[in-house]
Amino acid sequence: MNPTPNALCFGDGLPGAGAPCHVTVSADGLIMVPVGTSLLVEEAIAFTAMSVEAGGLDHDQLVVSWGADASVRTLYLKDPALIIAFRRAAPSSLMAHLERAAEQVRRARHSHRALWGSVVGVVVGLGLMLWFGSDLIVEWAVARIPVQWEQKLGETVYQDFLSKETVLKEGPAVSAVQEMAQRMTAKIPNNPYTFQVSVVQSPVVNAFALPGGYVVVFTGLMKKAESGEEVAGVLSHELNHVLQRHGLERMVKMLGLAAVVGIVLGDQQGVLGLAKQLGMELATLKFGREQETEADVTGIRLLHDARIAPDGMIRFFERLSEKDKERVELFSTHPMSAARAQRLKAELAALPKQAPEPFTFEWKGVQDSLGTSEPKK
Amino acid sequence: MKCEILYPGAFPMVRVYLDANETVKAESGAMVAASPSIDIESKMEGGFLGALSRKMLSGEKFFFQTLRAGRGAGEVLLAPTVPGEIVLLELDGVNEYMVQKDGFLAGAEGVKIESKMQSLTRGLLGGEGFFILKIGGTGQLILNSFGAIHKIELKPNEEYIVDNSHLVAWTSTTTYNIEKASSGWIASLTSGEGLVCRFRGPGVVYIQSRNPGSFGNWIRQFIPVSE
Ligand SMILES: [Zn+2]
Repeated sequence: MNPTPNALCFGDGLPGAGAPCHVTVSADGLIMVPVGTSLLVEEAIAFTAMSVEAGGLDHDQLVVSWGADASVRTLYLKDPALIIAFRRAAPSSLMAHLERAAEQVRRARHSHRALWGSVVGVVVGLGLMLWFGSDLIVEWAVARIPVQWEQKLGETVYQDFLSKETVLKEGPAVSAVQEMAQRMTAKIPNNPYTFQVSVVQSPVVNAFALPGGYVVVFTGLMKKAESGEEVAGVLSHELNHVLQRHGLERMVKMLGLAAVVGIVLGDQQGVLGLAKQLGMELATLKFGREQETEADVTGIRLLHDARIAPDGMIRFFERLSEKDKERVELFSTHPMSAARAQRLKAELAALPKQAPEPFTFEWKGVQDSLGTSEPKK
Repeated sequence: MKCEILYPGAFPMVRVYLDANETVKAESGAMVAASPSIDIESKMEGGFLGALSRKMLSGEKFFFQTLRAGRGAGEVLLAPTVPGEIVLLELDGVNEYMVQKDGFLAGAEGVKIESKMQSLTRGLLGGEGFFILKIGGTGQLILNSFGAIHKIELKPNEEYIVDNSHLVAWTSTTTYNIEKASSGWIASLTSGEGLVCRFRGPGVVYIQSRNPGSFGNWIRQFIPVSE
């Protein structure tokens, strides 16, 4: 059987992508055995006959060349163990050359960096502060992003996501979610967002909100909920992530430098491009603990303002947390720590008592309309 | 896994035969049809909204789904979104391709895919995307292009300059720099100021004969603007 190739050989008459071969290190050089190609023959290359440098896309490959003119052969070694073995066996004169080459790479990178110069210097400073979590700077940058831009961004990702999913167009589930959203959004003072809520057919027990007010609720969540209020609780929490611009804050943190450069230079088109390329990554944003708490607290208040029983979310969590921990996606983004539950309960207790106004739909009917497309376990 | 390209040319499709319990990784949305014995493993480990960091490290979740012949051998038909060619590459464990993320169609079970964050300068300026895929391992790799796919073979130290938005894939033995195009290059509007990649061999660069961004702009002029 052929040995597995661990190197590629280049040269005249060899394939452009390189001929696969198996290379081993001997006391005085390399032994190259071609794998599955008749274009090459087995060859021993003495350390004294070769030159060595670093190469490849990340400069992490060892490039060994030998021969002259048309018979020059170049080997690219990538396997770290092989490179270590080579470094051990090779004479120091050869390695000195390699170190020089490595130094050149370092210097080239350095001069490249110097090119970026002073503008980048300032920006790097900002960026570093970003990475180390200076929320002030994040907020400063986020405050500079117009809602309109945020919507454009969210909408792009939203449409992209929905195009790949089965979206419920009408029916009791859609009406129910719309009713919840309307009751809540009507109570948001100076709301700059036009919220759009879609119900997506999926066993995933979750919901998410994209920057700009684009909300997705999965049917899996609706099936697991025991009342409309439980869904409304999750929904309110998600709406508040949007209102507090948590997604944007997260994104600015994540894109870091690049986004800050864009925002500072007013190149929103560029940032938009970057964010688009991130695509659905946007929907997978995991928020920070403070953001979660903020969304919890403001979410409960919004429910209260909309006269919806505000304990839905915590009920939902507590009911499911025991048996479904593994299978409920909501938990992975929203771990219900004891502290968080405490905070939620304290907030609930502090609310003035009021008689909630029930929804117009009957929850059982909504759930029945979702059918049993998901096999019962 | 055995592959066969159907209808080569602008509107091709790939037929992938899977043995029982064999899997293929396909770009999500690429599946056109399949035998009933094929299951889509759409479970997104760690939850749908799972940790972003994990996703950025592994990159796998969002780009493809795993199709498994879980209930017996069968076949899957895969097709790319855009009109253009499909090319099959054989990975032998040592060759490795960097692939612009729209260029990936499918890969055999042994094909390893990781998404790689472009270094700041490359990523910011490169029209080929903030993330690129680094694909290695063993087995067949299926790429697709917008328009025809063209292979450029580079000898050691040989250089070639490619408009960024025409890049599909390149081997990791090549190095490249992103440069501002000198005048005369058609500045693609999406990559902004017309950026080009200067590749240096040895290795292979696959390019596509059409530029998705330019095509989009061309289409856009026929779409009435509202407001
Ligand atoms: Zn949350």
